[in-house]
Amino acid sequence: MSLPLHRRSFLQSAAAGSAVLTVPGVLAGCVDAQRRGVPTSPATAVTATPPANPFDAWYGIDETAVRRAMTALASRGADHADIYFQHSRSNSVSYQDGIIARAYSNVTQGVGMRVVIGERVGYAYTEELTPEALERTAKSAALFAQGSPVAPPESFAAVGRPDRYALEVPWSEVGVDQKLPLIEKVATMAAASDPAVEKVSVHWSDGEERILVATLDGKLVSDARPMTRLRISLTAKKNGQTQSGGSNLAARDGIGFYTDERLRTVVEEARERTMVLFDARRPRAGELPVVLAAGASGILLHEAIGHGMEADFNRKNTSIYSEMIGKKIAPDFVTIVDDGTLDKERGALNVDDEGNEAQRTVLVDRGVLVSYLHDGISARHYGVEPTGSGRRESYRHAPLPRMRATYMENGPHTREEIIASVKNGIIAETFTNGQVQIGAGDYTFYIKNGWLIEDGKVTAPIKDTNIIGNGPETLRAVTMAANDSKLDTGGWTCGKDGQGVPVSQGLPTVLVSKMNVGGENRA
Amino acid sequence: MAVALATGSGADGAFASMSRRRSVSLSVRDQELEKVQESTDTSLSLQIYADGRFSSHGTNDLRPEALEAFVAEAVALTRALEVDTFRALPDPARYATTLPELDLHDPAVEAQALEDRLETAMALNARVAGKDKVISASSSVYAGYGESGAVSSNGFSGMYSSTSTGMYANVTLEGEGDRRPEGGWGMSARHLSALLSPQEIGDEAMLRARRRLGSKKGPTAKTTMVVDRDAATSLIVRLLGPASGGAVQQGRSMWADKLDKRVLDEKLSITSNPLIPGAVASRPFDDEGVASFEMPIFERGTLKHYFLDSYYARKLERTPTTGSWGNIIVEPGTRDLDAIVRDVGNGVYVTSWLGGNADPTTGDFSFGLRGHLIEGGEIGSPVGEMNVTGNLITLFAGLEEIGNDPFEHSMFRTPSLVFSGVQFSGE
Repeated sequence: MSLPLHRRSFLQSAAAGSAVLTVPGVLAGCVDAQRRGVPTSPATAVTATPPANPFDAWYGIDETAVRRAMTALASRGADHADIYFQHSRSNSVSYQDGIIARAYSNVTQGVGMRVVIGERVGYAYTEELTPEALERTAKSAALFAQGSPVAPPESFAAVGRPDRYALEVPWSEVGVDQKLPLIEKVATMAAASDPAVEKVSVHWSDGEERILVATLDGKLVSDARPMTRLRISLTAKKNGQTQSGGSNLAARDGIGFYTDERLRTVVEEARERTMVLFDARRPRAGELPVVLAAGASGILLHEAIGHGMEADFNRKNTSIYSEMIGKKIAPDFVTIVDDGTLDKERGALNVDDEGNEAQRTVLVDRGVLVSYLHDGISARHYGVEPTGSGRRESYRHAPLPRMRATYMENGPHTREEIIASVKNGIIAETFTNGQVQIGAGDYTFYIKNGWLIEDGKVTAPIKDTNIIGNGPETLRAVTMAANDSKLDTGGWTCGKDGQGVPVSQGLPTVLVSKMNVGGENRA
Repeated sequence: MAVALATGSGADGAFASMSRRRSVSLSVRDQELEKVQESTDTSLSLQIYADGRFSSHGTNDLRPEALEAFVAEAVALTRALEVDTFRALPDPARYATTLPELDLHDPAVEAQALEDRLETAMALNARVAGKDKVISASSSVYAGYGESGAVSSNGFSGMYSSTSTGMYANVTLEGEGDRRPEGGWGMSARHLSALLSPQEIGDEAMLRARRRLGSKKGPTAKTTMVVDRDAATSLIVRLLGPASGGAVQQGRSMWADKLDKRVLDEKLSITSNPLIPGAVASRPFDDEGVASFEMPIFERGTLKHYFLDSYYARKLERTPTTGSWGNIIVEPGTRDLDAIVRDVGNGVYVTSWLGGNADPTTGDFSFGLRGHLIEGGEIGSPVGEMNVTGNLITLFAGLEEIGNDPFEHSMFRTPSLVFSGVQFSGE
């Protein structure tokens, strides 16, 4: 670990008010790998419980040591305190220049301890799993507090939870010999996909994290979260020009996720997105009607409204949405949801990282702003129940309100109607990244691939175009939404305060009457 | 020990690096302590060479029995991969032997008491909190210290201690309607004494926030763009990213086949220097243990070197340089921002970017921006919700002037930059 890196992550984490969303590399998120609508009700929940003595079974620590740490943690007062155990294991394998000759494995474990008093937080973590280290860490987390001790629970009671992504075969039991043929297959298909393809690289990753949250009020919550991602990058040459592109897909799923159909689809997407660049150009610069294609265009919601609805910004009064609850902010046909309950989705959670069950939270109900995304601190501030949105990247961070899978439900129009209604505009299909200024409400996202719409028809391909706008203004300018809502299957990671968490996003085909399009005008 | 475990498990070669860091961060919001965080991180990363095959690994579970199992599994995984003839440890002749004294460790950072750090964070916050139109102001102070070291099976061994410390302030203001414009600023340094005062940092953060008040959409126009020194950094990073060996070798670089060719305006010279004493990106050796050296990347507009680690150097059949960036120095010009703006007359002054991206293969870019109009030779009204779009190679071919104002404490010493004929999208 180099020092400049530490410094950058510090500055990044210090730059509150700005949040970014990215997919790895220069790739766009996936559009169409899995054709289906976004379910509108939570999946059926199955209850799962941790082993009888999970501290010992999973971390080799006995419960007495955890209680002793909790005592130290609450020894100077606490409205809430929690101890977060995490063990994560990940593997990746890469194909480059015709061979699979690079692999990476990682094991990280640690325990984060948090004391909350009002809106103040003391946090410390240790990577040393001994009773002494736990107690020492608890004391340093409690150091800022100046109140009188709060008694710890007599014991921790295991709380059941849903089971949205249990694997038949966990990744720890899948040998590299099972992955190599799949990687080889994808690489071979990609290399043969077009004569202009010169380079193919494939990056595979899989992993699991196991968490255990013990709270001051005696709850004990566990989760085991798998994740896998496959990414294809292509470089192609034609008429002396070089273009690169690719595609990727991700889920909280096991090796069975990689069906032949999914592999074929991701290769086809990578080929299309790369080859179309040879003919793609820029749209004209300025304000234009923008059609957002169903799927990955959910990036609009993530940036234009999702971050602004995270309740930490609102309790601090630093979000543009701070005073808009109960107000009409979009047309009647707009309903926007942030949902942790979708089986096996990248943004799915059984419980959040404070041990609260993940929910389906309606942010905008038929055009009216109805709820923020809450963690424990903001829920206490507003006197509401937490929404199961308290997430953290790892034991190295205190939880914050975060999105899970953010999407818009179906609207009353059709994609055909929407495109036919546009005289001169663009349709955006794939994206690489987005960002927002929470207070000013200004957001952006970057279109990697799209098309011009001329006289109601999709015509020439476009590329590399940034969109910038203001969240509430854009929501008011949503004039049509189709009945084809779906989630993207790409591997999106959302960054906030220096913490990255996996998220999903989705949208039906939507028309925004006017957006600022980064284009080029002929001289 | 990891290297010994690896070779004991049947590896032909290994490179292990370790780091241990302790850090403290404090944040204060509206004159109240908001968060205190303390931590110690220890990590081991290990690269294994076995039978012509290669893999890399990381762990923080350093209990001897856990480590032994981890390494044995890592060696077994390596053997399941295909042979890669380009993989080998670096030539030992390139390793750092006697490490240069780079003044990277400041005992004062380590010794500072929590109360002193809190006092600094409060002083920084006091400069911005509760002032006119301020809805909320937060400030944070960070300090970290520790050791980084590496050992290889073919003779490298090196370790150094370092410190880093920083301050940052962020301000949210009452704007028009529901808008709450915000701005912030901060800096990092190796030495406590190198940090600007909390007052100076707070004032810069406040200035940056206030400049956003009353921001309007700018025009759609082709005009001159002046990029301030902070915002210029991200353009320079976009030029350097595609100069990495991996990007070039994989054909995802606008600089492929461009070595020793004039590719940018000859006013532009950029050097990577990891040997500046006390600087934030200085280091005695790189990620492979190779002794640090100063390296020109662009010299008077000509591409001089790629960032080439041993692996991609072999694949490209070139002499290796280093895959690691040092402090990035852009050779400054002679005039300050005021003089430049006076001569530009009319255009757009960019103070920060919002989103956007660039294709490293073609150089095509499109960025969101915030800044001001330049009117009659002066910095005028604030603008936002604008994009700037073009191609990096074309943009830098139109580089009109470089300012004399790089921020000497940054890893990126980039002065203000002036470009002509740039396409903006606005209203």
